[in-house]
Amino acid sequence: MSRTLIQAKNLRKKYQMSKTNIVQALDGVDIEVQEGDFSAIVGPSGCGKSTLLHILGLLDKLDEGEYNLDGLDTTKIREKDANQIRAKKIGFIFQGFNLIPSLTALENIMQAGKYGGLNARQRKERAEELLDVMGLQERKKHKPNELSGGQQQRVAIARALVNKPAIILADEPTGELDSATSKDIIDLLKKLNQENNQTFLMVTHNMEVAEMCKKIIRLKDGRNA
Amino acid sequence: MLEIFRNMFRRKLRTILTITGITVGIFAFTVMGSMALRFNKMISGGKSFITGQITVFPKGTSFTTGTTGLLPLDVLKRIEKVEGVEAVAAGVELALKEPDPDNPTGGAGLGIPPTIEGTDLDSGHRNRNWTTLDMKAGRFLQKGDLDSYVTVGYTIATDNNLKVGDKFAIRGRDFEVVGIVDQTLTGPDSYVFMPLKPARELLIESNPFLKSLKERSDEAAKISDAALASLPAESRKQILEARAFKFEDVTQVAAISWQDGQDPEAVVDRIKEQFKDEVMVLSPAKMGEQIDKASAIFNAIILGSAVIALIVGGFSIINTMIMSISERKKEIGIKKAIGASNSSIAWDYTLEAGFIGIVGGVIGMALGVLVAILINAKTKASGAEIFLIRAWFMAVVVGFSFVLGIIAGVIPALRASKMKVVDAIREL
Ligand SMILES: Nc1ncnc2c1ncn2[C@@H]1O[C@H](COP(=O)(O)OP(=O)(O)OP(=O)(O)O)[C@@H](O)[C@H]1O
Ligand SMILES: [Mg+2]
Repeated sequence: MSRTLIQAKNLRKKYQMSKTNIVQALDGVDIEVQEGDFSAIVGPSGCGKSTLLHILGLLDKLDEGEYNLDGLDTTKIREKDANQIRAKKIGFIFQGFNLIPSLTALENIMQAGKYGGLNARQRKERAEELLDVMGLQERKKHKPNELSGGQQQRVAIARALVNKPAIILADEPTGELDSATSKDIIDLLKKLNQENNQTFLMVTHNMEVAEMCKKIIRLKDGRNA
Repeated sequence: MLEIFRNMFRRKLRTILTITGITVGIFAFTVMGSMALRFNKMISGGKSFITGQITVFPKGTSFTTGTTGLLPLDVLKRIEKVEGVEAVAAGVELALKEPDPDNPTGGAGLGIPPTIEGTDLDSGHRNRNWTTLDMKAGRFLQKGDLDSYVTVGYTIATDNNLKVGDKFAIRGRDFEVVGIVDQTLTGPDSYVFMPLKPARELLIESNPFLKSLKERSDEAAKISDAALASLPAESRKQILEARAFKFEDVTQVAAISWQDGQDPEAVVDRIKEQFKDEVMVLSPAKMGEQIDKASAIFNAIILGSAVIALIVGGFSIINTMIMSISERKKEIGIKKAIGASNSSIAWDYTLEAGFIGIVGGVIGMALGVLVAILINAKTKASGAEIFLIRAWFMAVVVGFSFVLGIIAGVIPALRASKMKVVDAIREL
């Protein structure tokens, strides 16, 4: 039996806009992710997909519910520990433009290694290795604004991989890419999943993308659908 | 680290403006500080001199000679007998050059103008703090020296291109340089030390009042006592008065040393008590206090300029950092998402502010030093330099600007590090 990376039950999260206006973004969601999964979270806009991903990625706190990440009860951890867990166990990929603009492709990748505790030499080696995998050796000295959307997203993927995270969370990784590039990116993720057993959990709007995934998790109005 | 520099130059204009703010503050700090250093140096030299002896000046009224501003030899002799007094040295002082009729005050009046110090080589007086001056070349004047010997201060030697053994013409008289005092950065740099007799002669020569007194006294001396007796009472009185003027009475200032184990203040009180009509006494302790007060005021000015630098520079850094952090909210969100710790984010931004501080500081310091050097070069001609430029002070200034940046940056940086990640991420 494979390792359970994420086990969450009855997740609730509300946003209080004003005294009377409360948005129940998550209204009791259950989710489970096994090692090696390649899953998609789908659902209409505003159903709480991003909120769920943020909570799973320890970027936000949940109001109620249980959440175990790789065997660790996350409801009691402090912010400092959350930073460390994010650095070592979780990789993030966002919709777009999520690289540090003042750093080159190589430096962006290396930076995550720094937060993950790699020394300068290890960071460089790992980043170079990932640039090879991503086919970006030629572009490593380029700043994000000198890269295409697809290339930027590859750098972001490489960055997410630097610390060999247990799971990579991606929020609409292809949201700003055309369909051909989107397919390339998903193929790349899939290859990483198949060859390295890298676990992915991604949010997507795009049904074509979702269909390429092994598992689909459907949400509606903050609940499992 | 690299990122910090790149971020600074991402918003070039804003960074430049911020740096300019600090530059202005640090410039003021450097200039005022160098002035204070010079001033404090001068003051501390002056203080150790003035507190190392009891100085007396003529009171200016009811002098037996009828002249104002002189200490008659008789008074000095009597002071020497006061309990606790070790020795009394007479002295005269006058400007090295005859005053320029078009500009009698002599230039801008900055610093100490070149001055002749007539020194009483025969007295056993010694200043308790200034026992010796370090010599650059040759030796200081000593007992038994010829009247034509002088020892010159560092600035005098440099300005007149003098070496030991050179002839040096002063107010139409030839002197020989026997020594050059090493740079003190204070009064003695602009002094020509000469024996008392030639200094008195030059003083009398230069002062119309003394000159006429001397001429009348010389005339009066020619009149024999017999001839004098035959003169009418009125003329006789005048001639006797004229004869009363003695060359040895031409003393403008006297330095008094006290015997070992004596309390100088008690000696001062005794002199004051016995000579209250004849002399003004400067007590070492009181002078020390006054000098401390003066330097306290000056140091307050420096502190004030540092505070202005702090406020001007500090606020512009805070402002810039808050702006650049709100601009980079997204970036901070990404960094946190990929695992940056709060402290590493706070540190990055604090360092960035520190670097802005250091760049502004180095430029401001360099400009300040440049201006100080230029003004020094200008004022050197008319006296001494106003600014004292010291490497340690330059280092302190740059360090100060770095610390200023760090302090100003730390609040915005902490704010950045505590930012809620989701809020930033939502903006992606
Ligand atoms: N910071 C916030 N303050 C208030 N309401 C919020 C906040 N963030 C999200 N919401 C609300 O919570 C609900 C869920 O938002 P979420 O971003 O998770 O939706 P989503 O499924 O990702 O939508 P999309 O597909 O458009 O990205 C929405 O109604 C949204 O308006
Ligand atoms: Mg979303």
